[in-house]
Amino acid sequence: MASVAESGYIPASRRRRFSRRRVGHAAAPYLLLTPAAAVIGLVLAYPLYLLVKMSFQKYGLFELIRHKGRWVGTANYASIFHDGEFWRVVLRTLVFTAACVSLTMILGTAIALLLLQVSRWVRIALTTGLVLVWAVPVIVAVNIWRWMVDYQFGVANWTLTKLHLGNFVRHDWFANPWTGFGVFTLLIVWGAIPFVTITVYAGLAQVPHELLEAAAIDGARPWAIFREVTLPLLKPIFVILTSLSIIWDFQVFQQIWVMLDSRPSSDYYTMAIYAFHQSFQISEYGLGAAIAVVMVLFMFAATLVYLRQMLRTGEVN
Amino acid sequence: MAEIEFTHVTKVYGGETPAVRDLNLKVGEGEFVVLVGPSGCGKTTALRMVAGLEEITDGEIRIGDRVVNDLAPRERDIAMVFQNYALYPHKTVYENLAFGLRMRKVPKDEQRRRVEEIAGKLGLADMLGRRPAQLSGGQRQRVAMGRAIVREPEAFLMDEPLSNLDAKLRVQMRAEIARIQKALEVTTLYVTHDQVEAMTMGDRVAVMRDGVLQQVDTPQRLYDAPVNLFVASFVGSPPMNLFEATVEADGSQLVFGETRLDLGSRSLRDYSGRRIVVGIRPEEVREASGWDGARVRGRILLVEALGSEQLVHIEIAATPLERADLVDAAAQPPGPSLGVEDLERSVTLLGRFDRHLLLTPGEAVEVAIDARLLHFFDLETGAALPAANVQAVAGVAG
Amino acid sequence: MSAVAVTRPRSRKRLRKAGWNALALLVLAVMVFPVYWMVTTAFKPGHDILSYTPQFFPTHPVLSNFTDAVHQQFFWNAVKNSLIVTSVVVVLSLVLAFLAALALAKFSFYGRKPFIVVILGVQMVPLAALIIPLYIMMSRLHEVDKLSGVIVMYLTFALPFAVWTLRGFLLGVPKELEESAMVDGATRFGAFVRILLPLLGPGLVATSIFAFILAWNEFIIAYVFLHTPEKQTLMVWLASFTTLRGTDWGPLMAGATLCALPVIIFFLLVQRKIAFGLTAGAVKG
Repeated sequence: MASVAESGYIPASRRRRFSRRRVGHAAAPYLLLTPAAAVIGLVLAYPLYLLVKMSFQKYGLFELIRHKGRWVGTANYASIFHDGEFWRVVLRTLVFTAACVSLTMILGTAIALLLLQVSRWVRIALTTGLVLVWAVPVIVAVNIWRWMVDYQFGVANWTLTKLHLGNFVRHDWFANPWTGFGVFTLLIVWGAIPFVTITVYAGLAQVPHELLEAAAIDGARPWAIFREVTLPLLKPIFVILTSLSIIWDFQVFQQIWVMLDSRPSSDYYTMAIYAFHQSFQISEYGLGAAIAVVMVLFMFAATLVYLRQMLRTGEVN
Repeated sequence: MAEIEFTHVTKVYGGETPAVRDLNLKVGEGEFVVLVGPSGCGKTTALRMVAGLEEITDGEIRIGDRVVNDLAPRERDIAMVFQNYALYPHKTVYENLAFGLRMRKVPKDEQRRRVEEIAGKLGLADMLGRRPAQLSGGQRQRVAMGRAIVREPEAFLMDEPLSNLDAKLRVQMRAEIARIQKALEVTTLYVTHDQVEAMTMGDRVAVMRDGVLQQVDTPQRLYDAPVNLFVASFVGSPPMNLFEATVEADGSQLVFGETRLDLGSRSLRDYSGRRIVVGIRPEEVREASGWDGARVRGRILLVEALGSEQLVHIEIAATPLERADLVDAAAQPPGPSLGVEDLERSVTLLGRFDRHLLLTPGEAVEVAIDARLLHFFDLETGAALPAANVQAVAGVAG
Repeated sequence: MSAVAVTRPRSRKRLRKAGWNALALLVLAVMVFPVYWMVTTAFKPGHDILSYTPQFFPTHPVLSNFTDAVHQQFFWNAVKNSLIVTSVVVVLSLVLAFLAALALAKFSFYGRKPFIVVILGVQMVPLAALIIPLYIMMSRLHEVDKLSGVIVMYLTFALPFAVWTLRGFLLGVPKELEESAMVDGATRFGAFVRILLPLLGPGLVATSIFAFILAWNEFIIAYVFLHTPEKQTLMVWLASFTTLRGTDWGPLMAGATLCALPVIIFFLLVQRKIAFGLTAGAVKG
C-alpha cells in the first residue's frame, strides 16, 4: 500500500505553509540587501549623479545659498578645456601617476622576489617591517616626511651632504616643484610598497612547487623559470595591482595638501587638488564638478581592465 | 642511455632521523627498477636526489659516468614524470611538450618533428592546441610522459605517476608505460607505494622501509624468497599468512597449536627450543583431501567469492605474531573472530581456493601443510631463516 | 667508483644566501627608518631635535613631548570623536555587510550580477571628486559638521570591501551545515545566525579591522565636513597641529606616534592574514 509520501498527497495545512514560505523566500535577498544598498546608493550613487548634473551647471556661492544650480550646458567643460592651466594639471597628474605606479610595482615586486631568497627569520623581520610601514596612517606619514626633509634640521639634508652627493645644507625641497614632487613620489611609493610586496609574495608562494621543479629539470635557468612559469601565473595579480595603483595614485590629494599647509602653489596642482581648489576655495562648484567628471572618466578607463579581471576571478569563485 | 648508481647515499633533514640511510643500488642501462615501500620509507627522497631536487647529505650518485652530487637538475640530462603531472597550465600541449627542447636550444623544425612524432605515438595529435585544464586525467598523464620522452634523456624518473588515476585507467596505463619503456630502452627509476604496480612493471624491485633498502631482486624472487618479514608481508596480495611456532626435537619438528609438524628434509637445528615465525602464502593453503602429509584442523570463518576463485578465512589453533613492527602495517591479518574461547591461540589463515569447491562458514575443514612450502623467520630480527636442505618445490598438495 | 674531483659549491650557496640576507636587512632598515625616526624624535628633548647634526639614538629620552601633545587643546576631543566614529562604523558595517553578503552568497536572483559590478565599480570613484556633490548634498540635509554624517559616509566606503570579503567567506562554508541545521528545526534565517555567523569568525575580524583602519585613518571627509575643532577627528587634529603651533617637531612627532598607535597594533596582530583575502584564487593554474 502506497505511503502518504509516495502518493504525493499533501494535507491542506502544509500546503498553505509552503506557499507562504516560497513568497518569503523570494523577497528575502532583497530585504537583506536593502540596508547596505541604501547606504551605498545614498552616499555614492546619488552624489555621482549630482556630480554629473553639477558639471553642467553654474554653481557658485549664490547658488549654494539657494540650494540650486543654474543650467549652463557644456560651458564649464569648454572653459576648462580652453584653459592652459587645466592641461598642465592633467599632464602633471599623468606623469606623476606614471612615476609612482612604475616605481611602486618595480620595487614592490623586486622586494617580493628578495623575500623568496632569504632565510626564514630575515623574511619574518622584513615582512613585519613592511606591515609596520603599511600601518602608518597617511597624515602621520606626511608629517614624518615633512620632518625628515625639513630645510633646517631635517635628517635628509644632513645625510645627503654627508654622503657628498652635493650641498644640501638648508635645502628647501619644496621650493622647486620637481624636487617637491620627488619627495611626494618617494613618500607615496614608500607607503605603497608593502601592499604590493605582500600581495605579490603571496602570489609567488602559491605557484605550485612542482611546476618550478619540472621547469628546472626541463633545462630552464632560474631567470627562464621566472619568465616562463612564474610570470604568466602572476599576471592576474599584476593587472589588479597596477590598476589599483593607478586608481589610487591618480587621486592623490591629502599628501600634497597637508604637506603644503593647505596652500599649495599652482605648480603643485594635481587634478584632485585642482578640482578641490575650484570648488572649496574659489567656490566654483560647477567647474570643480566638471574637472572631477573628467577625472572619473580617466579612472573608469583604467578601471575597465581591473573590473574585467576581478569579474573573471569572481566567476571562478 | 646511462646507469644510475647510488653509493652509500644518506639523506638527513636537519638533525632528525635520516630519510634515506646508506643506500646502495644500481640501475643498469635500459633497466626498469621500481622503488617501492610504504609512505615515508624514503623512496621519493631517493628519486628526488637523483633528479637534483634534494641535496645529498652523504654518499654519491652517478648518472652514466658522471658523479652528479653537485650538478643542478638541468645539467643532469634526466626527465621526470611527477605525481601531479606538473604540466604548465598556461601553455598548450604542444608548448608543454616542446618546452624542454626549447630550453636546450633545439632548432625549431627539429622541435616540431619530435613533438609531433611523440604526440602521434601517444594519441595526443589532436590535442596539441589545447591547454591542460581541458584534458582528462589520462590525457594529462600522457602529456607528462610525452614531455619526458621527447627530450630523449639519459634516464627517466617517475614519481608515482599513476596514483591520481582511477583503478581501471591505472591498469591500462601501467601496461602502456611498461611497453613504452621496453620500446625506448631508457633507464628508468620508478617510485610507487603500490606493490602490484611494482611487481608487474619492474625488471627488478627495490623494497624500502624507514630509509633502508630491504631487498632488491626480480619480482619472482622477492615473492619466493623474501629476505625478511617486512618484504614477505609487503609483497603479495593477499599477504602472506604468519604465525608463531616452536622448534623442537633438535630442529626437525615444528609445534603450533595442537599440530606437530615434521620438517622432513628441512632442518632448523640452530633454533632448537626457540620460537620462530612461520609464513605460508595463501595459494599454498590447501584443503587436505588427497594429501597424505601433515594436516591442521581448522574452522571456516568466512568465504569471499571473487568469481575466479574463493578467498577463505580459516581459523586454526596457533599463536599469532605479536611483532607488528616487523611487518608491513598495511598487511595486518584479519582479527580473531568473536566468540572464540582461546583468543591468544587462534590464527586466521587466508587461503585461495578453487571456485568450484563448496565451502560453508562454520564448517570444519582440514588444511594441508607442506613443510617444503613454508617460510621461516627469526622472531627477534624478522630475518628469513635459511633452513638446511631446501629443495625446489615441484608439486603442491590439493 | 669514478674518481672525478668535484668542487663543492655548497659554501658558495651559503655565501649567496648571506648576501641576500644582508640586502634584505638593508631594505628593512631603509623602509622602517622613517617610523624609527618619528618614534625617536618623540622621545628626544627639544635641543637634541633642533640640532644641525641629527642624533640617531636618543641619549636622554624624555616624555615631555608626549605630555605636550596630549595637553594640546582639543586632543582629547579628537580622541573621543575618532573612537565614536570608528566604533559605530565597525559595528554598522559588520551588520549591514553580513546581511548583504548573505543575499549575494546564498541566493541567486535578478540583479545579482549588476550588484557585484556596482560593488566593484564603486571602489573606483575618486573621493576627491565625490566630495564636491557630497558636500552640497549633506549641507542640504544639514548633516555638515556632524559626526553622524561622517559615519554614514565612512560606512559607504567600508561596505563594498566588507560585503565582498564576507561573501567570499560565506561561499567557503559548506551548504550541508545549514541544511542539517534546518533539518534539525531551525528556520533559514535562524540557520544563518546560529550556524554561519560563528563560522565567519576570521571574516568578521578581517572586516572589522578593515573598517576600523578606514575610519581611523580617514582625513579628507573629516577635514571637509567637520569645521568646529570640538568635532574634529584625530587625523584632522594632527594635520592642523603645525598651523596651530608653528613647527614644534617634538610634540608633533609625539602626537603622530599616538595617532598611529592603534592602527599599528592592529596591523601587527593580524599581519599574516592580510594579503591572502585579495589574492586567493587569482593564481590557480
